Amino acid sequence: MSSQSGHQPFSWVSRFLRWFCHPELIEDIEGDLLELFDQRATDNVLKAKFRHVVDVLLLCRPGIIRDLTYSNNNFNTIDMVKNYLKSAWRNLVKHRGFSAINIFSLSIGMSACLIIFLFVKDERSFDAMHQKNIYRLCEIQSFQGTNTQSVALSTPGMGPTIIEEFPEVEAYTRINPFGSQLVDTKGKKLKVDQVAAVDSTFFEIFDYQLINGDRNTLLDGVMDAVLTESVAMNMYNDTNVIGESFILDGNSYIVRGVMEDFPENSHIQYDLLISMSTIMQNQPNFNTYFESNFVNTYLVINENADIKKMADRFPDYLVKASGDENFSDFMQIFLQPLNEVHLASTDIEHDYQNYRKFNGEYLGAFLLVGLFILLIASVNFMNLTTARASNRAKEIGVRKTIGALKKQLFYQFILESVMLSFMALVIAITFTVISLPLLNNLIDRELNLTNMLMDPMISIVILSTTILIGVIAGVYPALYLSSFKPVIILKGFKTFEKKSVFRSSLVVLQFSLALGMIVSTLVVVQQLRYMKNKDIGFNKDHILLVELNSEAGSKYKQIKQELQKRSNILGVTASGQRLGNNFHQWGFKAKLDTAIVGITPSNVHVDYNYLDVYDIKLKSGRKFSEDFATDNGLAFIVNEAFAEELGFDEPLGKKVGHSWYPDDSLGTIIGVTENFNFNSLHFKVNTLSMVVHEDWNYSEMSVKINGANIQAAIAEVEDVYNQFVMDYPIEYEFLDKHFEELYKSDQQMGSVITIVAILSIIIGCMGLFGLASISIRRRIKEVGIRKVMGASGQQLMYLLSRNFAVMILISFMIATPFTYIFMSGWLESFAFRTQINPFLFVGGGIMSLVIALTTVSYHVLKAINANPVKALKYE
Amino acid sequence: MGKYTLGEFEEVVMLTVAILYENAYGITIKEEIEKRLDRKVSVGAMRTALSRLEKKKFLKSEFGEATAVRGGKRKRYFKVTPEGKDVLEQVMETRKQLWNAIPSVSFDFKFA
Repeated sequence: MSSQSGHQPFSWVSRFLRWFCHPELIEDIEGDLLELFDQRATDNVLKAKFRHVVDVLLLCRPGIIRDLTYSNNNFNTIDMVKNYLKSAWRNLVKHRGFSAINIFSLSIGMSACLIIFLFVKDERSFDAMHQKNIYRLCEIQSFQGTNTQSVALSTPGMGPTIIEEFPEVEAYTRINPFGSQLVDTKGKKLKVDQVAAVDSTFFEIFDYQLINGDRNTLLDGVMDAVLTESVAMNMYNDTNVIGESFILDGNSYIVRGVMEDFPENSHIQYDLLISMSTIMQNQPNFNTYFESNFVNTYLVINENADIKKMADRFPDYLVKASGDENFSDFMQIFLQPLNEVHLASTDIEHDYQNYRKFNGEYLGAFLLVGLFILLIASVNFMNLTTARASNRAKEIGVRKTIGALKKQLFYQFILESVMLSFMALVIAITFTVISLPLLNNLIDRELNLTNMLMDPMISIVILSTTILIGVIAGVYPALYLSSFKPVIILKGFKTFEKKSVFRSSLVVLQFSLALGMIVSTLVVVQQLRYMKNKDIGFNKDHILLVELNSEAGSKYKQIKQELQKRSNILGVTASGQRLGNNFHQWGFKAKLDTAIVGITPSNVHVDYNYLDVYDIKLKSGRKFSEDFATDNGLAFIVNEAFAEELGFDEPLGKKVGHSWYPDDSLGTIIGVTENFNFNSLHFKVNTLSMVVHEDWNYSEMSVKINGANIQAAIAEVEDVYNQFVMDYPIEYEFLDKHFEELYKSDQQMGSVITIVAILSIIIGCMGLFGLASISIRRRIKEVGIRKVMGASGQQLMYLLSRNFAVMILISFMIATPFTYIFMSGWLESFAFRTQINPFLFVGGGIMSLVIALTTVSYHVLKAINANPVKALKYE
Repeated sequence: MGKYTLGEFEEVVMLTVAILYENAYGITIKEEIEKRLDRKVSVGAMRTALSRLEKKKFLKSEFGEATAVRGGKRKRYFKVTPEGKDVLEQVMETRKQLWNAIPSVSFDFKFA
């Protein structure tokens, strides 16, 4: 708006006027005001400006202000939108390859994000079905001579006494697990995997669904039992079985209820529950028993209770309840909220009842990764749309000439971008549906997209995110495109496409993220390989673990003898606990020069040949031998950590024993092993003592088999087992499989990051490919001229690739420090960890450089090999 | 009278439009009123009146040619329509009748 005086009123005032004024009136009103302004401005410009403001304000009256229902413009909006969609579609089809790259890269990103979201949501859904304010009672044990540890266990006495002492506690239930048991139903024998005794309050505290039975009286009486649906079906082929009886471990139980199987997202998983009162029959002190920790206790705490204040009173309570004034010195307890049990128990040991336990810290990392990949994909989308602007130049020119407002063009491109992003969403959902079964297999989950989409909240979030991506990705291209000057475009100038710093920095951002993920993947793989290959001090390959149930346990010696005769069996031994987890800690005492001291190392009782079968190396002393009568119960083999802890210079021959041994009849240390990693590599090696007790039951038999002939060996084991054990079918597992389980969380993190890294590189490359095609086409004439002048292929190659190489280099410099910090943090969670090798960064950098340049090379080579005549003729 | 109602300011505006004849647009109307009646007229008040009158079909308007002045904005010229003329005449007629009905003593202020 220019005026004669050369002065102008405040532009914001004019804009305001145009905004509120009725469109039919605006032209002459504005003209009138300007004319007035010009008259006034001849004396005093500033005064004129202010009087213009006043005039405009006085124009704010009913007859002038636009009608609310009156649309912005007089065009038929619906027709225009139709037209926009049509031209968007035609453009899409005209540049098929480009559009495919554009949409696919976005849908890959969306799909990855969707899956990660599904995964995180599934993990977070754990134990959410319970309404009450439930906590798990955990302990922090700091026994002398052993690493301080948090454990999920508690003593049987804690539940009943804590509810007396703390009014905040409304209810408690304990779980006393019994592992797998043989159940006899009218002569039909069946092995049930997970049996446990629970307090009668179990079903009042936890909201598991019952099929039959009365929640309030369930498990109230002695010999009461509750079956899960699938166990009931296995036992009776029916769920309507209240009042039926079965025999378990020599006792007859009556079914009082049938419950639905424990949901997949419950950390508690059992098959058969019996009443705690059954256990207490034979153990009258059970409710005050504080000597050992083997139950899980869950408490319902009043919503208004102050957990912190409760915690302050715990030490006094423990002393009082246990009757041991030193109790609090080696034991603290804490309350873990139920919703943290699944995701925040990584540092809690002896956590046997925690189905699919997962390291919740990874979820944050996953979400971050999901966001990153979506970001990369959106950036790509934005970048490609902008880069393609030249294709639309004529259209914009014509539209503007016909009278399209800048605003309309802006909306057109936003609309188009939203449309593309919805197409990407549809493809992304298809991708997800197709890839979920594979992924579920890989990460051992039951993720389900349809269930999630049923949730209206989530659908709304997904739809609005899609719109948001469309709008955000569309804003820059829309602004850019709608600001074209029609005259310039239509005259055929093509110079408006300058080097875009903005676009280049987007590529740099993309590649920084992709590079960070490549290097992270390499670090994770390195750590996983480190854990796999680290010499953990014993042989875990080709060891078959055979469960020793009561029957097999009693015949262990015969089975062992028979097995050792078979050709593919290299050794047979047994132990009370399995390698790979921490062993139980028991009280222990050692005679020093001055006095007898207590210590609580990890303990395991083993067969005589345990060290031989597992190839555990002795540092000094000898192994267990049946030739020494005292080796049964009075000989101990300890590890170096144990010896160091007690400060023994020469541990051999020192007097030690279980805490219940009288001081004057202790056993002897006969051997010291190297520190082998009996626990997961997340933890340091704890002090350890091994002992033989012939009369104790072993829980498991370890059979070392011939690795060259695994199938035959397994057949032999089964054969021998079945000769001796009638009631129980054989159950076995490979030890290395068990170790894989241990690092599953880490392994899964590795898989996810690998997939995401690959995806982000693919998306990044798609973007680069599209961008290169445009930027090189722009230089086609230059290449032609250079070629005519005698430039060699290599020179041209260098010339055209240089920019891209520089971008990757910058990405490398940005990504390196962040990745280093992040991955160092991750490695901290392992007590045994690999060093981050700087070559990983160099390798990752070179890798992405090669990938990027290869992607670009298609266009580069095409440009170089093109006939210069053609390039130069094209004018 | 009947259905026609005209405010005082509206009447002034219409008369001014008629006075200006071919040159009646926003600014001239405003200036004319200010000059003749010696009162301040805001663009807003005047413009609202014009719109209202146009809506009542007492005035009609059309755009003039665009010129370089006024930022290239066209002027909207107003003209009194036959209906407008009728209503103006009616107003004047009513006034006249009223004047005529006043007994001469009413304005004899000598005895007041």
